[in-house]
Amino acid sequence: MSARDLPRDPVPGETLLRVDGISLAFGGVKALTDVSFDIRKGEIRAIIGPNGAGKSSMLNCINGFYQPQQGRIAYRGVERRQMRPHDAASQGIARTFQNIALFRGMSTLDNIMTGRLLKMHVPFFWQLWRHGPAMREEVEHRRVVESIIEFLEIEHIRKVPVGRLPYGLQKRVELGRALAMEPELLLLDEPMAGMNLEEKEDMCRFILDVVKQYGTTIALIEHDMGVVMDLSDRVVVLDYGRKIADGSPAEVKSDSRVIDAYLGVGH
Amino acid sequence: MFYREAGQFKTSYQDDMAVFPIRQDRIGVAIILAAACAIPPFLDNFVVGTVLVPFLVFSLAAVGLNLLTGYTGLLSLGTGAFMGVGAYACYKLTTIFPGVNILVWILVSGFFAAAIGVVFGLPSLRIKGFYLAVATLAAQFFLEWCFVRIPWLFNYNISGAIEVPNRSLFGIPVVGPNATPLTRYYAILAIVVALTWIASNIVRGRIGRMWMAVRDMDIAAELMGIRLLRAKLLAFAVSSYFCGVAGAVMMFLWYGGGEAKDAFSINLSFTILFMVIIGGLGSLTGAFFGAALLHLVPIFLKFGLPALGFPIGGATAEHLTHIIIGALIVFFLIVEPHGLARLWATAKQKLRLWPFPY
Repeated sequence: MSARDLPRDPVPGETLLRVDGISLAFGGVKALTDVSFDIRKGEIRAIIGPNGAGKSSMLNCINGFYQPQQGRIAYRGVERRQMRPHDAASQGIARTFQNIALFRGMSTLDNIMTGRLLKMHVPFFWQLWRHGPAMREEVEHRRVVESIIEFLEIEHIRKVPVGRLPYGLQKRVELGRALAMEPELLLLDEPMAGMNLEEKEDMCRFILDVVKQYGTTIALIEHDMGVVMDLSDRVVVLDYGRKIADGSPAEVKSDSRVIDAYLGVGH
Repeated sequence: MFYREAGQFKTSYQDDMAVFPIRQDRIGVAIILAAACAIPPFLDNFVVGTVLVPFLVFSLAAVGLNLLTGYTGLLSLGTGAFMGVGAYACYKLTTIFPGVNILVWILVSGFFAAAIGVVFGLPSLRIKGFYLAVATLAAQFFLEWCFVRIPWLFNYNISGAIEVPNRSLFGIPVVGPNATPLTRYYAILAIVVALTWIASNIVRGRIGRMWMAVRDMDIAAELMGIRLLRAKLLAFAVSSYFCGVAGAVMMFLWYGGGEAKDAFSINLSFTILFMVIIGGLGSLTGAFFGAALLHLVPIFLKFGLPALGFPIGGATAEHLTHIIIGALIVFFLIVEPHGLARLWATAKQKLRLWPFPY
């Protein structure tokens, strides 16, 4: 029984995010040209394409790092104009990075605790004493974080500064930090890059469990085609900043333009 | 063998998040605090006045700068000026409202420094690292200029000096010519212990994590929902508050008045910054270590060596002190670039296992 046969809840349904005619250029370099697709609630949506196809730029547009020159992004049906990354965070969009962006000087626990920042509201005055409401809030969020630590099986490295952890574990901590935000939409930028087979299998298991347990919607960039085909519900293929295919893994796999993009075209 | 947490079980997250989760640490800190309270009455006034009091003042300023540079990763060379703001604010406040307790004004004067700190922290959103250091240098020069050119600040005193008035607490003179070094020492000790405790509460909680996130990876921090400008300005405000209080304490409880423009010069900024770097960025204990190395060791060398019978004269001792301190700084930075605090942490880690290798 493959991972895809597991029953999943909630069933992919209404559109969570719609990207409509996005174009993004850096000076003369066109990173994205007229890209449109949608992400439905509860699905795993893969974005694939050769190197430099604009996959990461697409994620950066979604969470507000880049402002596309043209096109619209509607999240939960609400279209947005200018948006900063912290706005995206408060709307429930979390992400991990291709090259790990953890807080290296902080412990695993503190890193994941930062994911709770938006949910912590006890005012500065109480923070000074670390008693009463501040302490209660701290313990309450620590409990949530501990459940995530347990979920990702990283109990043993709880107090270790993340700078000292091996690569695979750092990737896992970064996933934990994103999960701590309890996102509705989770953007994963190559979560399995540079991992060995077992680590990849672990990560796949975590991603499927996240969808199942937390009902999170996931947009996934990945180069390992086996992983993409196994995990994702639908796939978008980008090449040179343009969308060349969109559909189920099976459809995409047999699309001649996709094959051309990956294998090259005979001249 | 004695320093081990075996058998100390935590049954709640609250216990696990305590300042000193290991019992031996708690005992150690209690002993240090008890010694800090009990021993000074038996010491010479000179030792209390020129060794302990300045050490505490420097420690407080270093704790303040550490919040900014060590925890939030913002380099500042304006520490001396922010301390000066605290001192002048305290002077004006106690002149205008002489009836209010001086310790209250010392704590309030920090807020003035915080406000000024926020203003000069505004460029930090755009510039980082050395460039920010240069921008804060502007604060240093501008405020130093104010301290000399605005006579209102020093009550139109012709010499431009701050004249510290007599102020008492419960009938005991705390500030001014009549205050004994011992009373001043206890006043400073209370302030430093209280503020250090507050600093440790801040850095271990939500605010501290926010600052460290900004320091380690600002892009990811923004993604966690942190507003960078707010976090940085808060760091400037809190750090400047600590520095301002340290400045007021320095002028009123240590110097007892004098020409402030010399006291709060760029040299002071550098001294505090070096204390923070050598002590350990991002460690409150480090601030104390740094202050100790840069203040206590020179005094020990200067007065301690002749006292121990090494036949060196005053001038020679002075030169020797500079050489040894310089060498020590280089030595410690080579052995442990992360500062004395890291060295201390490593030693404790080793001690937990000793005498076993692992």
